[in-house]
Amino acid sequence: MGSLAFFLAIYLYPLTRLLVWSFFSPGFTLEHYAKLFAEPAYMQALRNTAEISVWVTALSLALGYPLAYLMTVVSGRVRTLLIVLVLVPFWTSVLVRTFAWMVILGKRGIINQLLMGWGVIDKPVALIYNMLGVQIGMVHVLLPFMVFPLLNVMTRIDTSLVTAARSLGASPRQAFLRIFLPLSLPGVSAGCVLVFLLAVGFYITPALLGGEGQVTFTTLIELVVRDLLDWNFGASLGVFLLTIVGTLFVLFSTLLGLERLTGDTRA
Amino acid sequence: MSVEARTTRRHFVKTIGAVGAAAAAGPFFHARPAQADKGELVVVSWGGSWAKSLREVMFAPFEKETGYKVRDDGPPEAAKLKAMAQSGSVTWDILDTDMPALQTMVKEGLLDPIDYSKIDKAKLNNIPKTLQSSHAVGHKIYSFNIVYNTKTYPGGKHPKSWAEVWDGEKFKGGRSFNFRGGIAPQLEIALLADGVPMDKLYPIDVERAWKSTDRLRPLVTKWYQSHAEAIQLVTAGEVDIACTIGPRAVYAKRSGAPVDVDYNQGKLGSDYWCLVKGGKNQEVAMQFINFALDGKRQAGMVKENPYGPSNSAAFEFLTPQEARDLTTAPDNVKRQFWINEDWWGKVGADGKNENQKQKERFAAWMLKK
Repeated sequence: MGSLAFFLAIYLYPLTRLLVWSFFSPGFTLEHYAKLFAEPAYMQALRNTAEISVWVTALSLALGYPLAYLMTVVSGRVRTLLIVLVLVPFWTSVLVRTFAWMVILGKRGIINQLLMGWGVIDKPVALIYNMLGVQIGMVHVLLPFMVFPLLNVMTRIDTSLVTAARSLGASPRQAFLRIFLPLSLPGVSAGCVLVFLLAVGFYITPALLGGEGQVTFTTLIELVVRDLLDWNFGASLGVFLLTIVGTLFVLFSTLLGLERLTGDTRA
Repeated sequence: MSVEARTTRRHFVKTIGAVGAAAAAGPFFHARPAQADKGELVVVSWGGSWAKSLREVMFAPFEKETGYKVRDDGPPEAAKLKAMAQSGSVTWDILDTDMPALQTMVKEGLLDPIDYSKIDKAKLNNIPKTLQSSHAVGHKIYSFNIVYNTKTYPGGKHPKSWAEVWDGEKFKGGRSFNFRGGIAPQLEIALLADGVPMDKLYPIDVERAWKSTDRLRPLVTKWYQSHAEAIQLVTAGEVDIACTIGPRAVYAKRSGAPVDVDYNQGKLGSDYWCLVKGGKNQEVAMQFINFALDGKRQAGMVKENPYGPSNSAAFEFLTPQEARDLTTAPDNVKRQFWINEDWWGKVGADGKNENQKQKERFAAWMLKK
């Protein structure tokens, strides 16, 4: 009961206010939503956000899956060490980490200095203020959100199933692809949903590490709410993004439904 | 459907819930705001070294002289004040903020007019008329200037006009202009780059200014979000030229950064003292504003923070060495122009001021491929 009241107070009430703002000004109106669809900039910002989020989710999975797998096969002590290594940056402020990337990836940053010192390149390459910078910065922040759901599922996979497959003549590759991978899919979907949803709402990293092609939807919401003080329009932007994310969440969990996935492998 | 499958789902939800809640909770926990009860004045500024000097130069002596306690809070964001006003619990008395923010606040009815009868005539005579507006009085002058890296352009070989900043052939190197951060977009500067003389900028030929900004676009490495970021970009050599606040460049230069400023064609603006509507101590607030506009006290502020004092009497208390680099030093101020706040504050038929309109257009422009 207490937790329900808490939930209503801090979550549902502000959301309702947001919804009301977006539709009333002061009488009922759709003008804020009309404006949102009339101005191509907002749709472009949404495309930018989607592009960044898909990339970051895919890269987090590509890096996170092998890492989580590695954690399941090493000894307990090494696993603890790896977990700490993933967690330590997780406890550092996003802003600090973003600035650290600027020092590392900048025109006169560590990587460019090294590459030029080795004669690999003769002019600095652009590693930030573009999509690459945003990808690097955001994957770094979001990787734990991919690794931990994966690890959670992987550690509970019965390894005797893999052993059984091997003893029945499956190659290591086959055993992985047909036994381990399908069993780990609930972790994959959980990790992807989590990373994608968080990426959609990211603000600081794309703003600092991105270029003009990485102006996101959240950047516009911030501009409208903080600089233009147009809270009704800002609310409609927020409700719109929330609707899209909510729809995607429902879609994800239906399509990648966990029951079905685990059920299939057990059949 | 097995028990285990349901456990997996519950686990999935739990994992998402726990990690998500931790991530989401962050922004909701603020420090307790300062309370403006009777006998106490809350002055809201942008923080940093400026706020530290305010405490030493302004607040402490004011407390001693009047017996009122001064509390500081920040940042003086219009959105925060609007939220306070809507919830009916305004805890601020005085704001120290910039023109775009305060014009929007005036439009929203969040500020009270300045009572000029409470300010000494002698002080007002020394403050430029353009800084004495109905709801705000200027105290801290800065300008948007050509700020450059001195390693890229040593020995005075830097661009000396906005036309030269626009010239990517003659001056190689990356530029940075502000996307957010107070006064933006830089329409006057775009016009100067296009050859419009400094005294013919207003009313702004908006279309011409945007066309000129189109030409700047390919030269810009990074559209920055804050002035601190701009100085950092130039200092680190990430960009070679930035259009940003000169005083911050002077501050960086004094601390040894390879950064300098050319005041030529700078756009002068100011931060202002404003009265919060519904503030509980209006009398004392006006008393504080009068106190803070004193030339000697302003001089005390700008020794540490090289902004331009609005009261020209401040220069009597500065050594030539201290005064030379300031925005409003006679040699610097005469090469610059004042932003026309009436033009930017003009409210159109759609209820928006020019500043809001151009900011919206800036965002749309930025997102145009």
